[in-house]
Amino acid sequence: MVFDMEFALKSLPKIIAGIPMSLLISVFAILAGLVIGFLVTLCRMYKVPVLNRLAIIYVSFIRGTPLLVQIYVIYYALPMVADWAGMKLGLPISSADLPPLAFALTAFTIYSGAYLSETIRAALSAVDPGQMEAGYSVGLTTWQTFRRIVIPQAFVVALPSIGNNFLGLIKGTSLAFTVMVIEVMSNAKIAAADGYRYMESYVDAAIVYWLLCIVFERLFAWLEKRSGRYRSKSA
Amino acid sequence: MIKLAGIKKSYDKHEVLKGIDLVVNKGEVVAILGPSGSGKTTLLRCINYLEKPGDGEISIGDFHFRCKRPHKKDVHSLRQKSAMVFQHYNLFKNKTALQNVMEGLVIAQKVPKEEAKRRSIALLEKVGLGAKLDAYPSQLSGGQQQRVGIARALALNPDVILFDEPTSALDPELVGEVLGVIRQIAKEGITMIIVTHEMSFAQEVANHVVFMDQGVIVEEGAPSELFNNPKEERTKQFLKRIRPEANV
Repeated sequence: MVFDMEFALKSLPKIIAGIPMSLLISVFAILAGLVIGFLVTLCRMYKVPVLNRLAIIYVSFIRGTPLLVQIYVIYYALPMVADWAGMKLGLPISSADLPPLAFALTAFTIYSGAYLSETIRAALSAVDPGQMEAGYSVGLTTWQTFRRIVIPQAFVVALPSIGNNFLGLIKGTSLAFTVMVIEVMSNAKIAAADGYRYMESYVDAAIVYWLLCIVFERLFAWLEKRSGRYRSKSA
Repeated sequence: MIKLAGIKKSYDKHEVLKGIDLVVNKGEVVAILGPSGSGKTTLLRCINYLEKPGDGEISIGDFHFRCKRPHKKDVHSLRQKSAMVFQHYNLFKNKTALQNVMEGLVIAQKVPKEEAKRRSIALLEKVGLGAKLDAYPSQLSGGQQQRVGIARALALNPDVILFDEPTSALDPELVGEVLGVIRQIAKEGITMIIVTHEMSFAQEVANHVVFMDQGVIVEEGAPSELFNNPKEERTKQFLKRIRPEANV
């Protein structure tokens, strides 16, 4: 068996067409994950009763189980939740309305939230407590100081790790095909099955993921440089 | 006028402040001296509630604050009465010198941005940093950072500025420039409370000196009195330790 270059080039556009979906899932998951991660961190930092325990269990469970297993669990659990919400709460939803994307977005957000909460916790504790005091001393409220002083500084600390998480998510979206979401990997599988040329399609997919990751690696490097300007010695 | 009455503070079982009473008149410069662990920094930090006093009352002007279980809003009001100059400067690291000074004006006091900017620039020029408006704290020397810190405190136009050992984290050659700025604003009639180890500076700038030890005020009075003619044995010993050359 030889590598069919022609087939590889021919299927490339089809596989590339999956990029928007892969990006949609990873961008949504990183943003929503940041919000969840932040809330989890707050529960843990302020030792909120009950929520603190739940947060610990959540993070430990997600970090201790494979993403693929989580996706399958969500795939079967989410319809149950939807039906329950529809029947008991009278919300206008049922399991039949759930698009495949809903499973993927839910699973990947829950997944990234757990990892990002660890990142955020470390980043927030890296900010000098004197910054909070300085905020109070000029009359800012706790939330104003958080938003204007502490979070921007923590963000710079967290960026490299957020970048890693994001690359992990991009690659992780290749598992979304298991719940019928058509993204890069699904398209590669479809192309492969069409022509019985598996290696060519998967090599295409690998290249697409790789290029995608290179672009975002660059983007994050640029972001790090830009947002960390205030830390450099020279003007 | 600032009036502290019966301020108490404990960490677990250890009582750091054992009921402090102190009156600071408007325009007065008060220096608080004392060995380390005497509670002087804690007292200063209680005045803007960076430390939570367990008991007592703080009055600044006609605002009265009960330290026991205060309302969140009152804490916020109390903090707006004073400004703090920190030992380690604590400038906002992600903001430029100018933004540091403007922050409290624009966000806390809701001063229009243009006016806040004008006032902040004037203050930075006053502390000799007119050329460093857009520099970040990481690009400034310790002395320059502390001068920004002083400008930031001045900008708020508070009833009192609290100085927490403003020069003790500085390299010796940078102490002078910071003391110079404090000396200058002391002359302008701004009420200040300074915790310091700079004895000669305290003697020169302060109208009133307070000596603390083990959580109580041991002695207070005019600088000439307290430095040259201390009454309490503990004050004498302290002064002898830090000024072996002087005869007390």
